[in-house]
Amino acid sequence: MIVRRRNLASRIGTALRWLVFIVTGFVLNLPIIMTVVTSLKSTADINTSPPPLLFEPTLDNYREVLGAGNTDLPGYILNSIVIAGGGALLAIALAFPAAYAMVRYEVGKSWLLPLITNLRAVPLIIFAIPIYLMYQLAGLLDSWTGMILIECVINIPVALVLFVGFVQDIPEEMDAAAKIDGASIWGTLWHVIFPLSRPILFAVLILSFVYGWNEFLFGLILTTKQAVPVTVGATFFVTSYGVKWGATAAAMTLGIIPPLILGLFAYPYIGKSMLTGAVKG
Amino acid sequence: MAGQTVGVRAKEQAEARYFLVALCAFLALMLGFPAVANLWYSFSNFTFHDLTGGSFVGLANYQKAISNPNLWAAFGFSLKFAAICMTIEVVAGLLLVFILHPLLLKRPWLTGILMLPMMVSPALMGVMYRLILNEFTGVIPAYLALAGYPINFLGRNNVYMTVIGIEVLQWTPFAFLIMLTARQGLAGELEEAAAVDGATGFRFNTLVVLPVMIPTIIIVAFIRFIDSFRVFDHIYVLTGGGPGNRTTSLSIYIYKLFFNQNFLGEAVAVSIMLLVASLTLLFAGLRLAIRRNGR
Repeated sequence: MIVRRRNLASRIGTALRWLVFIVTGFVLNLPIIMTVVTSLKSTADINTSPPPLLFEPTLDNYREVLGAGNTDLPGYILNSIVIAGGGALLAIALAFPAAYAMVRYEVGKSWLLPLITNLRAVPLIIFAIPIYLMYQLAGLLDSWTGMILIECVINIPVALVLFVGFVQDIPEEMDAAAKIDGASIWGTLWHVIFPLSRPILFAVLILSFVYGWNEFLFGLILTTKQAVPVTVGATFFVTSYGVKWGATAAAMTLGIIPPLILGLFAYPYIGKSMLTGAVKG
Repeated sequence: MAGQTVGVRAKEQAEARYFLVALCAFLALMLGFPAVANLWYSFSNFTFHDLTGGSFVGLANYQKAISNPNLWAAFGFSLKFAAICMTIEVVAGLLLVFILHPLLLKRPWLTGILMLPMMVSPALMGVMYRLILNEFTGVIPAYLALAGYPINFLGRNNVYMTVIGIEVLQWTPFAFLIMLTARQGLAGELEEAAAVDGATGFRFNTLVVLPVMIPTIIIVAFIRFIDSFRVFDHIYVLTGGGPGNRTTSLSIYIYKLFFNQNFLGEAVAVSIMLLVASLTLLFAGLRLAIRRNGR
């Protein structure tokens, strides 16, 4: 009797947990769902009040924003791909060898590592002004190079911490074996550590790409026309297109889908990476 | 023999230092140089047209900066915004961990659904909320009006609540994910042992789980506080800091001083003060952490 009552109670408990999960998932993702839905509506359906629950989906909005010569959106997307990709690769190239040196040879681990990890906690706006002025002098405003460099700066703390954590867990015998075979440090790094680190390299690549893609402040400040990323470009739609919500929604959907898909692959690492700055190494 | 080993090690260490050179040079160029330039600019009266010119004006920029009441309003906004968002996110995240942990333990992929908002650019999140909260075509106000609750989310009186709500809805998943990971790291034996002692369900969560998770909760609260304190993206696209200065965070304040109002020296002075303040806080935090670990 008692067993049966407990069974019922636990079943109700589980049902309530499911209810909480569904409601939370719906509320948290509501703007995403609604934006995607709006992007598939015709202008007439968008302007109907109250909004119809059922409507005939159309790709007109996507045709409008992606069609040749209609808007600058394809250019923004290309800019974002180049900037986020370049920033991620450069950050890896700079941080990975440094992480190896820090872990295996204890160089810079005591001062450089905490310094860099703490960078993440400094408000970016502090560097926005001097970097803007520096770029103006160097002619890097509104260029891919300038944006790649700044995204790289933003990615370095996270990349370094994740690399240090990973390389620490690679057994040192691996290095020793390579050295007995006469490999230099460079050789060991390239032929032993690099192949073993493929999972973390992949994760950092994805995460850095997502961060670079989602970055807004520097895109807003440092670009005007040629190198505008999609996060900044999509906001132009709101003002310049006025009430064209369908086109805006389509532009936004295209701006959020790449990080959403990539993020699903990397989400076990996301929590860890975002802890950067509060916990050392 | 031993001397030789030490020699090899020292030689390798010297070689390994080269691995840091590129990174250090890059950061010195991209952050060190701008920081020093910023410091010089904060004491000079430079203009957009004459970046390398300008003459030393002492503390004039700083004086102007701290005597501007809008600075303290923006500082107050950021502080309050960060404190409110952090509190709600930690409490909501913790509640969700307690409620959803049993479900997610067996189906980890479900966690991914709750993580989606974190992957969206905060700026685009702001634009999306602008779309669905729009007074005329927004879906949410339309349905609320149908239900008899007409609310203008972006109107003067509600906009403060709205920007907090958006921050909370986007970043509670983060608090949740970190605390869920910590909760899942707790050994199953703990649960069994507690059950033997009669602590199950709510009592188990508050008396056993909560105390163990306190270090994680502190870390999450700290990260969420610093991230919310420097908020820029979603507020900028949603309200631009307005109406008036009602939603102007410190980051938006500095941005507007520099790019809209052309008070270059003043903006630089504020950013230097913010840098010093955040570094002081960080080092204090770091020392605390070291002392705690040392014990």
